[in-house]
Amino acid sequence: MFNFYLLSSVLLISLIFFFLGNNRAKNLVKLNQKNLHSLTHYYGVYSLLVSLLPALGIFFIFTICDDLIFAELIKKYIPKEVVASKDYNFTIVLAQINNSVEGLIFGTPPKWVTNAAEIWISWIHKSQIITVIICISTALISGFLGYKKISGNFRSRNAVEKIVMSILAVSSVIAILTTIAIIFSVVFESIRFFALIPYDEFLFGTVWNPQFEGAERAGSGQEGLSQYGAIPLFAGTFLISIIALCVSVPVGLFSAIYLSEYATSKERVFFKPLLEILAGIPTVVYGFFAALTVAPFLRSSGSIFGLDVASESALAAGLVMGIMIIPFISSLSDDVINAVPQSLRDAGYGLGSTKNETVIKIVLPAALPGIVASIILAVSRAVGETMIVVMAAGLAANLTANPLEAVTTVTSQIVTILVGDQEFESAKTLSAFALALTLIVITLAMNFYALHVVKKYREQYE
Amino acid sequence: MNNINDLKSLELTVGDVFSKNARLKARNVNVFYGNNKAIDNVTIDIGSKEVISFIGPSGCGKSTFLRCFNRMNDTIDSCVVQGEITIDDENIYDKKIDVVPLRARIGMVFQKPNPFPKSIYDNVAYGPRIHGLSENKEHLDVIVEESLKRAGLWQEVSDRLQSPGTGLSGGQQQRLCIARAIAVSPEVILMDEPCSALDPIATAKIEDLIHELGNDYSIVIVTHSMQQAARVSKRTAYFHLGKLIEVGKTKEIFTRPQHHQTEAYISGKIG
Ligand SMILES: Nc1ncnc2c1ncn2[C@@H]1O[C@H](COP(=O)(O)OP(=O)(O)OP(=O)(O)O)[C@@H](O)[C@H]1O
Ligand SMILES: [Mg+2]
Repeated sequence: MFNFYLLSSVLLISLIFFFLGNNRAKNLVKLNQKNLHSLTHYYGVYSLLVSLLPALGIFFIFTICDDLIFAELIKKYIPKEVVASKDYNFTIVLAQINNSVEGLIFGTPPKWVTNAAEIWISWIHKSQIITVIICISTALISGFLGYKKISGNFRSRNAVEKIVMSILAVSSVIAILTTIAIIFSVVFESIRFFALIPYDEFLFGTVWNPQFEGAERAGSGQEGLSQYGAIPLFAGTFLISIIALCVSVPVGLFSAIYLSEYATSKERVFFKPLLEILAGIPTVVYGFFAALTVAPFLRSSGSIFGLDVASESALAAGLVMGIMIIPFISSLSDDVINAVPQSLRDAGYGLGSTKNETVIKIVLPAALPGIVASIILAVSRAVGETMIVVMAAGLAANLTANPLEAVTTVTSQIVTILVGDQEFESAKTLSAFALALTLIVITLAMNFYALHVVKKYREQYE
Repeated sequence: MNNINDLKSLELTVGDVFSKNARLKARNVNVFYGNNKAIDNVTIDIGSKEVISFIGPSGCGKSTFLRCFNRMNDTIDSCVVQGEITIDDENIYDKKIDVVPLRARIGMVFQKPNPFPKSIYDNVAYGPRIHGLSENKEHLDVIVEESLKRAGLWQEVSDRLQSPGTGLSGGQQQRLCIARAIAVSPEVILMDEPCSALDPIATAKIEDLIHELGNDYSIVIVTHSMQQAARVSKRTAYFHLGKLIEVGKTKEIFTRPQHHQTEAYISGKIG
């Protein structure tokens, strides 16, 4: 609430500067009877931005930094004997204090925790007052300086242009930095994992059987060490992806051909959005469709033929995932097929080809690179899909090519490893990051390749 | 009956629309795009081994009329063709007629060169392959070589038949398209502004080619260049707003046009 009021007042101040700047510019026009460099509202926008942006920047820096600073300062208030004790962990202590600050109290916390929390609260009040003073005065001062700058030959349009450009540039930098940060965090955790488990065991091992070290120590019947061979997971991922492609490539491609070459414009307007709705269904819905409808159906129809279908099978997950991917393939392929110039079709018809011959011999070969790219994108989508496989493929790390058995995938292992209780330092938890890293590398490589193919394809015409 | 109709359109068209050894005959052809009439009651003969030019201001319906002869208008949903067009006295709009062999008999060259993104060889071999014109690989090689020679492209490409057709220059691509069209041995070739995307030298080559092909084929060429019409064709037809205004010997159309609209166009008053 406090933040909301503060931001609204800063916004209000900058709006006032907008009108002030605008008026000043208008008056300048009236008084001097000569033209300003820019239209008057640019002077208003300039004053607005100049007063708003620095205050906003300071606000965000303050809100991000104060917790960090407090955490550093609070260390003084933790009693020596606590710090000296054997299982002292600053993160946990900090969490305790923070809980107390927010009024979440479990049992009776020690006296020093409540004290520290009180001190913390008093700091928060102080920092709020400081933030208000600094933000408001920044808005006023910088707004006033911007306002003073307004004169006949001040080029406010160019200044606004520059400010807008830097806002846009900052946004894209933030997006890029976030991506890089995610990748780096995954990389660092993976490095810690590979310090525990050699990478060749991870990449080429054929048994995936991670356990908590605690369980082993307790001798819970599990003999031997944990095993981190990722091959069964990747095999499961690719088995399911291949099943998914067997469904989605023909269906998606044929419907794209139908839509772009055969359908009348009315049918097209009707069917295309319908197909794209498939892409809008949340994957968890596909997940329970797979687990509750498709899997039992496969099981019962399998038993008719004397086949033993596991209740969680790669086939069920793959089929449903295939349905999910259809719109990716159909709508991308539809685009590339439409991009084949009409003149090529005309040339085909002009030589006496039937529609079918024109599609197979001329349109599809010309669109092939684009179609391949759409399939690659669909594969990377399938490889990264989580919800359906968690719900329908099972968790058993079987190394098998039999689609009727339960398999597990990279993504569903990551989920099971990271959900629930975890020891952060254990190889089991860290293995999730190594899996994620491998997955990222694979999908990135596929996306790059797909983009490359599409680019080559674009150069072919024009 | 036919004669009365002929007379009706004669009232509109100046000059001799008929031809003694007619191969294609169009009678009272109307073409509609939806409710919009693009061709209005056009009657004309096209003789065998004759080169005829269609000229007229932009949007007057030259392309539309040209596309009637190989039923390319069928590919446009909104387009309806009425009237009668015959090739060797066979109505091409008859229900019994199959457009696939028809389009093999009447080839077409388009305004923009449109080679397939395949090799030069495959471009030319495409037609013979889909129509099953060759008995074996050697025969197909012969057809490809013959067609490229007739299109005047053989010397330039004989050593790179397997490289892509889209890699040729604009003029070469257009000659490749002509080679592709003549590879199925059509009887008539329709050309819709075949040189409009080309430079003067490439244009001159194509014009020479049309001149030569005129010895064996009937050729209908749509052009915006009156010089080109004068260079390649014996006969010229002038269209205006969907009507066929005047037909006659090219020389006479350009020197002594009968109809005032033709004269206005020739002298540059209608663009
Ligand atoms: N596919 C189409 N759908 C609807 N109307 C069309 C279509 N093609 C052409 N027309 C209309 O038919 C008329 C004749 O067009 P056409 O293309 O035959 O003219 P043109 O003489 O070839 O012109 P240009 O010299 O510019 O090529 C024009 O009014 C045009 O707007
Ligand atoms: Mg035209």
